Amino acid sequence: MSANSDTTSPSTRREAQVVLPAHLHARPAGQLARAAGGFRSALELDYNGRTVNPTGVLGLMGLGATAGSTVTIRATGPDAHEAVTALTEILANAE
Amino acid sequence: MSAPVGIVLVSHSAELAAGLHLLVQQIGSDAVPVVTAAGTGDGRIGTSYELVRAAVEDADRGGGVLVLADLGSSVLTTRTVLDDHPRADVVIADAPFVEGAVAAVVTAASGADLQTVANSAEEARHVRKL
Repeated sequence: MSANSDTTSPSTRREAQVVLPAHLHARPAGQLARAAGGFRSALELDYNGRTVNPTGVLGLMGLGATAGSTVTIRATGPDAHEAVTALTEILANAE
Repeated sequence: MSAPVGIVLVSHSAELAAGLHLLVQQIGSDAVPVVTAAGTGDGRIGTSYELVRAAVEDADRGGGVLVLADLGSSVLTTRTVLDDHPRADVVIADAPFVEGAVAAVVTAASGADLQTVANSAEEARHVRKL
């Protein structure tokens, strides 16, 4: 979390589920991790009972998430809405 | 955005480093400066002090440099170069070569600073493959 508690933008929490159109292998995992690194919110990605921080490309690849399965993206923080929107967009369009 | 952290890949083998370079560009980004220092100056398996030193300079865009080494004398040669030319913004990662490089380049591509990039590489040792 940011050290500056910004009282004008209260922390929000957003969550969304995505059915993967393709395996979450190296390239889409890299794309997701790069994008995730640009947000201030705390991020989590759930798959098959496991939770990883989506800023970590190795953790994402280690999930072994396959096409047709569902992942959940969760964000808590000032840009939670933008983060979930951006990350679900990447996951939904993974090739 | 501030200058990206540069990454140096030090290996005994030019082919190994070149292959890893291609891989990290595909997963990470070609916007991150990645430079290899691999093999001896005359193309044999081994490591070269001069190649490592030059690669560190080459990768430096002002955001600091993280060096990943494969094993053994790659690590020793890198440490000697860094001891001879000490800089707070040039560090070697205690990390697995492939996983560490992938994590470092992806993290650097998101605009992270040197400490964050170094941490991402070192965390790679704890990520299970299975």
